[in-house]
Amino acid sequence: MPNNTIAQEWPPARGDYTVVNPESRISVVTLASDMDPLPDTCVMGSCKTENLGIEKIIANTISNSNIRYILVCGQESKGHLSGNTLLAIHANGVDEQGRIIGSDGAIPFIENIPADAIEHFQSQVELIDRRGLIETHEIQAMIEEYKSKGEPFPHPAMVVQSKKKKKMVEREIKGADVLISHNILMDTTSGVVFAQT
Amino acid sequence: MFVFKKDQQVINIANVKIGGQPGQLPTVLAGTIFYNKHSIVSDPVAGIFDKQAAEALINAQQVLSDETGNPHMVHIYAETPQAAERYLDFVSATTDAPFLLDSTDSTVRTAAAAYVSEVGLADKTIYNSLNMSVTDAEIEALASSDIDTAIILGFNAMDSGLDGRMELLENGGSVLPHGLLETADECGITKKLIDPSITPMGNGAGVALRMCITAKAKWGYPVGSGIHNAPSAWNWLRNKSKEDRFLYKICDIASTGLQQMAAGDFILYGPIENARYTFPLAAMADIMISESVADLDVEPVEGHPIYKLV
Repeated sequence: MPNNTIAQEWPPARGDYTVVNPESRISVVTLASDMDPLPDTCVMGSCKTENLGIEKIIANTISNSNIRYILVCGQESKGHLSGNTLLAIHANGVDEQGRIIGSDGAIPFIENIPADAIEHFQSQVELIDRRGLIETHEIQAMIEEYKSKGEPFPHPAMVVQSKKKKKMVEREIKGADVLISHNILMDTTSGVVFAQT
Repeated sequence: MFVFKKDQQVINIANVKIGGQPGQLPTVLAGTIFYNKHSIVSDPVAGIFDKQAAEALINAQQVLSDETGNPHMVHIYAETPQAAERYLDFVSATTDAPFLLDSTDSTVRTAAAAYVSEVGLADKTIYNSLNMSVTDAEIEALASSDIDTAIILGFNAMDSGLDGRMELLENGGSVLPHGLLETADECGITKKLIDPSITPMGNGAGVALRMCITAKAKWGYPVGSGIHNAPSAWNWLRNKSKEDRFLYKICDIASTGLQQMAAGDFILYGPIENARYTFPLAAMADIMISESVADLDVEPVEGHPIYKLV
C-alpha cells in the first residue's frame, strides 16, 4: 500500500465538481448534466468538453489512488461528446499528435497530460458507462455498491505538471508593429511597449 | 489605445463592415439564438421554436444596433441539419443582417453550408468555424459551397500558448500539415475572421486576448471572439453569483469591453437576450477607443457611436 495515496494538494485541477469523500473508491462524472453532489462519492461533477475537461478528470483521478471506479452518467455533451471521449481515452489512449484515439468529439486533443499519466489513469480506474442515466436514486445505488469496493491503486498518487506554465518567452524586441503614441511603440510578438529613442 | 503598422483589412458581409484600425469602425456584435437549452426552442433536433419570441429577440437586437451604431449579426447554433435549415430560413426572413452558421458537429455545418448555397444565402453567411479538427470532407464541402467568409479558430489543444495558436493558423504547428489560413484559401474563404478561441481562465483566456493584437499586427485580418465564455466557465463566479445574481451578469457583459480593448472587431456576446446590456457597453467602449486614437490619424466612420451617442 503506498503511503502517499492522495497527493498533497488534491485535487490539483479546479473545475465544476465537488469533493465529497476523498477515501471513496468511486467518482461520478455527470457529463452535461448538472446535479447536486451525492453522499459517499469521492468527486462528483460535470464534464462538458472533450479536451480540457478530460484533462482535469485524469489529473484529479491519478492524484488520488483511492479512486478505482468512475461512473460516467448524465446527458452526453452535444457535439463535444465528452463521455464518448472519456471512454475512448481510457480504452485507446492518444496518438502521437495527442488526438484521443476513437473519439467522435469535436476537438479531442490532450495537451497537458503526458503518456505515462494516461497509462496510469487507464490502469488505475475502471469506467462504468451509464451515459444517459440521470436518476439520482440509481446513481446513489451505484455509489453505494462501489464506494468501498477493492483496494486503493497500489502505486503512489501521481501529479502532472502543466507544460505551458514552464514556458517563458524572451522579452526581446524584434520590431515595432503597433503605434501607441507618437514615440511609444509596441512589439506585439514580445508584448513589450517601449519608447522610441 | 494604439494603431497597427500593418494595413488593416475591412471586410464587407451583407453591408456589415468588420475590421480596420481600433477606433475606426464600431464593434460588430452577434447575439446567439437557438443555443443549447434556449427556452424558445422546444425541439432542437427538428428545429421547432417559438417564432414570435425569436422575432422579438432579433428585432430587439436590431433596434439597439440602430440606436447605438454597432452593427449586428445573428449567431445561429444548430444541432442537426434539419434544425439548421429551419433556423436559417427564419432568420433570413426576419432580418437583413448577416448570420453565423454554427454547430459543434461539422456534418451539421457542412450540410447547412450546402443549404445556404442552394437557397442563395451564402453571401450573408459566416461559417463558424474552421478549426484544428477540420477534415477532408469538411474542406471539400466548404470548397464546393458558395460561402466565402469564415471564422478561423485559433484553438490549439496541443499548445494553448500564443505561439501554438499562431502556428496553428500559420503552418499547422504540430497538429496539421499546413496552417488553417491556407486551408481557408483552399476552401475559397476570401474573407477571414480570426477568433483566437476563448479557453477558460486558467487555460489561456488572457492569451487569447493577446493573440487578437498579435494576429492583427501580423496579418491585418479582423479579429474577435466569444469572450463571454471566459466568465461562463468560471466556477468561482458561478458559486459567488448564488449570493448576488447580478455578479454573473456584470462579469458576462463587461467581458465584451475587454475584447474591445484588445482590438476586437467583432464579438459573439452570447445569448441574444443580453443585447440590451451589451450594446450600450460596447458603444461606450467604442467611443472611448475612438477618442483615444483621434490624434493618431484614425477617423471613425459615419454612423459610429461617437457621432450618435455623445
